[in-house]
Amino acid sequence: MPIYDQGYRRYEARGPLRTLRFWPITREALRLVLSRRAFLGLLAVGWLPFVVRVIQIYIVTRFPEAGRVLPVDGRLFGEYLNTQIGLALFLTIFGGAGLIANDLRTGAILVYLSRPLTRRDYVLGKLSVLLALNASVTLVPALLLYGIGLALAPEQYMTWSLWWIGPAIVLHATLICVSISLLSLAVSSLTKSARIAGLGFFGLFVGLEMARGVLRNIFDVRGATLLSIQADLRGIGSALFGVTPSRFDLVDWPAAALVLLLVAAGCLLLLRSRVRAVEIVR
Amino acid sequence: MSATPVTAPGRDTTRTVPWSDAFRAIFELALNGMIWTRRSLLMGALLGLPVLFAVLYRVVLVAKLPAQMTGFDLYGVIVALYVLRNALPLAALFYAVSLVADEVEGRTITYLLTRPVPRSAVLLGKFAAYLATTVGLLLPATVVTFFLLVTAQGAAGLHAAVPHLFRDLGAMAMGLAAYGALFTLMGVLLRRPVIPGLLFLYVWELLAHLPGYLPRFTISAYLRSLVTHRPPDEGLMEVFGQALPVGLSLLSLTAMAVVFLAAAVWIFSRREYVLEQ
Amino acid sequence: MSGAIEFVRASRWYGPVIALNDVTVTVGPGVTGLLGPNGAGKSTFLKLAAGQLAPSQGEVRLLGKPAWGSPEIFHRAGLCPEADAFWDNLSGFEFLMALLRLTGYGEAECRQRTEAALEQVDLMAARHRRVGGYSKGMRQRVKLAQALAHDPEVLLLDEPLSGMDPVNRRRIVDLVKRLAKAGRTVLVSSHILHEVEAMTRRVLLINNGRILAEGDVREIRDLMDQHPHTVSVRARDPRAIARAVVDHDHVLSLSFGAEGSWLTVQTARPDEFYGALLEIAESAGLEEMFAPDEDLGSVFHYLVPR
Repeated sequence: MPIYDQGYRRYEARGPLRTLRFWPITREALRLVLSRRAFLGLLAVGWLPFVVRVIQIYIVTRFPEAGRVLPVDGRLFGEYLNTQIGLALFLTIFGGAGLIANDLRTGAILVYLSRPLTRRDYVLGKLSVLLALNASVTLVPALLLYGIGLALAPEQYMTWSLWWIGPAIVLHATLICVSISLLSLAVSSLTKSARIAGLGFFGLFVGLEMARGVLRNIFDVRGATLLSIQADLRGIGSALFGVTPSRFDLVDWPAAALVLLLVAAGCLLLLRSRVRAVEIVR
Repeated sequence: MSATPVTAPGRDTTRTVPWSDAFRAIFELALNGMIWTRRSLLMGALLGLPVLFAVLYRVVLVAKLPAQMTGFDLYGVIVALYVLRNALPLAALFYAVSLVADEVEGRTITYLLTRPVPRSAVLLGKFAAYLATTVGLLLPATVVTFFLLVTAQGAAGLHAAVPHLFRDLGAMAMGLAAYGALFTLMGVLLRRPVIPGLLFLYVWELLAHLPGYLPRFTISAYLRSLVTHRPPDEGLMEVFGQALPVGLSLLSLTAMAVVFLAAAVWIFSRREYVLEQ
Repeated sequence: MSGAIEFVRASRWYGPVIALNDVTVTVGPGVTGLLGPNGAGKSTFLKLAAGQLAPSQGEVRLLGKPAWGSPEIFHRAGLCPEADAFWDNLSGFEFLMALLRLTGYGEAECRQRTEAALEQVDLMAARHRRVGGYSKGMRQRVKLAQALAHDPEVLLLDEPLSGMDPVNRRRIVDLVKRLAKAGRTVLVSSHILHEVEAMTRRVLLINNGRILAEGDVREIRDLMDQHPHTVSVRARDPRAIARAVVDHDHVLSLSFGAEGSWLTVQTARPDEFYGALLEIAESAGLEEMFAPDEDLGSVFHYLVPR
């Protein structure tokens, strides 16, 4: 016919399901966090230990005797990652405390979940933000440090006996990032205030450290070290990298790993119950 | 509603509501919003952790206490290292920075600022509610912890220890007031006061462990001086730690609380709160 | 010049952005609609009037006192803000009670006024439920109730009908009209023209921080010479009407409707046209007449450039 029907025509094609549906959530949240200058400053401070360690490697390369005082074998990376745990905590409070709390307060969670996104996508998207932030002060600088070590001191690092450093960095850094990120996200889901979430997260660590401190230092209850998430992470790091922990940080790494696993499971369960489109008010 | 506006007899509409009435109304409203909330549950857990520990001690650990330590010493460690140095300042930060910020974020500040009440009564009423809440959470927990720990091996030393308890409770109340006033000021002054607050607590307050006059620029140095507990093995911190005169500490903490609060009230009274649309 | 709300050469800027520019206006008893598109300066105007902001320049007075820095005026003024914000842990009853206590009433009077205000907005049945569990319309009503509960002389209403169903809209419009009749000054800010039209014909039109027009809609319309008035008539013999008016110099154009019984006239002086129409109405069989651009929407549309 000469005149075509201009009426509604149904769109028959089906769009492909994107496996990275959560990516826009992560991208926009990261953009927001990284636009804050104070946060970038904190990030810069988080890289200072990296600079110190690079200098350490350089010094030992130039003056091998210094290696007795400043070891640059696998222990260097273990110690580095252990010190970054505290920085990762600060970064998480600053950059991630309000990730879910703000959405609960503003009702934006309903907007997210009214898109073709599941709750899992939402949590994954938010979690990825924290993982990226924490990785930027743990995994990335640690791998870079390893790369610099390989470049500056190939005779030191390119040996069969130290082949495990790379995989150990990835494993330990991932453990740090996942543990801290999940815990922060779970606390964030408990409240509608980013401020309360951040302080609550910080308070949780302080409280657990106190409990550990008293039980371990005064009562010599070895198992008390497991109460501290930081100590658990440091314990696993020490076992992976052969670092000798302090007497009060001594912890069985399988027990520490189990504690972290249980904490992660608890966080996931909490997120499952808290991340909902609507809140029932009684 | 009446056809013409009715002024109740005795009500003066040319002046604000009497300051004490306004203060009390704000105090009750703010207190209602602070207790029985998830936030207070979290703070209660943080401040009540010593009680949990004390129960654990009585049930399981009492036999493991080193010979040179008594239950009172243990109580002293908890007060000095956990409560005064961590839990109390964190509780103050938790509540005090949010006094105005919560109302602004929640957009309820408009209701408070469109009532015939002086702004000073609004801020001070909320501060009083913060103080009542934190004192109500911390002090009873401390008393219970004290009795559980000190009487674990009998009531022999209890009589001598009770004055220390009262001293500690007083120091805690002063600490909550001083830290609360500072963090209230930070909350009014800064858009994002949490990180500066944490930096103050865990970086600036380290000055308390240095020699000379530097500790006088901290709050924790005065608080430490008000209590008699000196926890063992503080290491390098113990070498430099100094006890300031009690009178000076009391005066300084009071002055700090007053000055910080006055500054907060002054700023709050003049600030415009433009809520984002 | 004296009125409950007075702006005298008032300006307000935020950094380099001028939100309100040299505004001089008085709002007196009755309902006045504050109209403007989004970003026109309505919120700034209302916030200045409510003492939430200080003018960068000029004066803003509420009930004779500077609006900023005079909290005592809120004994006699009430604000219904736009934001959907409450202390969610409180019930509607508790919410009003708390705010009435802040207005200085004793416990018994607080209770009495709370119940009266809730009755007025039809929330008595839900008064003990938490505000967090209210629907949008109920929350809007409780917001209005807190503005009315202390019997203020001046009411500042920011989008008061937002989220309400038609029944409650009608109820609130009637309430506002009653208040105005009782001598209160009610300033209603809205960008929904028909809402304001339902309440009042007196408007304050604002755009880009400046007052465009102020007064009765009809008077404003009459003053707009560059936009001729359109009048549509339906008659048995519309051409007879056309013949009768075509010679008049105020008639600018004539057009006939598709069915043939309608005549649309554009006239520069509508009153003269109506006078001429009266003479021919019976013989031409005039059946219906309306002026599509006499309403607020048209006035707004003509004054506010797109």
